[in-house]
Amino acid sequence: MGEPAERRPADTASGPGRVLVALYALFTLAAGARAAVQVATRFDEAPVAYLLSALAAVIYLMATIGLVRGGRTGRRTAMVACSVELAGVLVVGTLSLVDRAAFPDATVWSGYGRGYGFVPLVLPVLGLLWLRHLAELAAESKSVPPEV
Amino acid sequence: MTTLLAVAATVIAVLLALLGVASTAARRRIGVVHLAGAALLEAVLLVQAVVALVGLASGHRPPQTAAFLGYLAGAVLVPVAGVLWARTEPTRWSGTVIAVAALVVAVMVWRLVQLWNGTDG
Repeated sequence: MGEPAERRPADTASGPGRVLVALYALFTLAAGARAAVQVATRFDEAPVAYLLSALAAVIYLMATIGLVRGGRTGRRTAMVACSVELAGVLVVGTLSLVDRAAFPDATVWSGYGRGYGFVPLVLPVLGLLWLRHLAELAAESKSVPPEV
Repeated sequence: MTTLLAVAATVIAVLLALLGVASTAARRRIGVVHLAGAALLEAVLLVQAVVALVGLASGHRPPQTAAFLGYLAGAVLVPVAGVLWARTEPTRWSGTVIAVAALVVAVMVWRLVQLWNGTDG
């Protein structure tokens, strides 16, 4: 074990945020690589599924960038990305179970991310909780009057 | 590609993940033991990559060669990226970053075995 850990003011990419950035970067690569291979080798088989993989990669990238940059803009970017991501995984997850014919090949979000240990379902929830926590911290620090 | 190497990588990865979680639980940064574990894991992955490349050179062609090469390169890079990303983190969460990287490797090596044997769906 290393030295005792520091406690320092939270930033979007620090503390638990650092774990989130790692996961988002990983999923950007996973979804991006998957989409690239699918679109390049067999686009005609399931264009909708493959374009969804590509869209997922773009959203994961947005969330990663938002979390890394931080600040008001970064948090807002990440918030939008996580919300779209949550909606995406719920809608695509449901559709992939209800209408199998529309999704002949899997995407990261099929079956609520079953192929990826359901991490795609948990990740946006963790992201939104983390962003809400940071927003609360920011609001608190703003309401404290500056010391003279 | 041998199952033995995949088993070895998985065992090391799971132990490393437990060490990572332990340091987070103990409110400590990662230490030498995590770096040593990651180095050992990386060594096994490099041996696996060499074995796979030798196999490819001598004519074995997995059905999805592009995906296989992607996973092969990815698996070798994940521990390195994980260590770099964890080392600059001064809070206790550095251990969790290592744990995530280790578990990702554990999953990737079995996906590699599947792709190599052509036994995936």
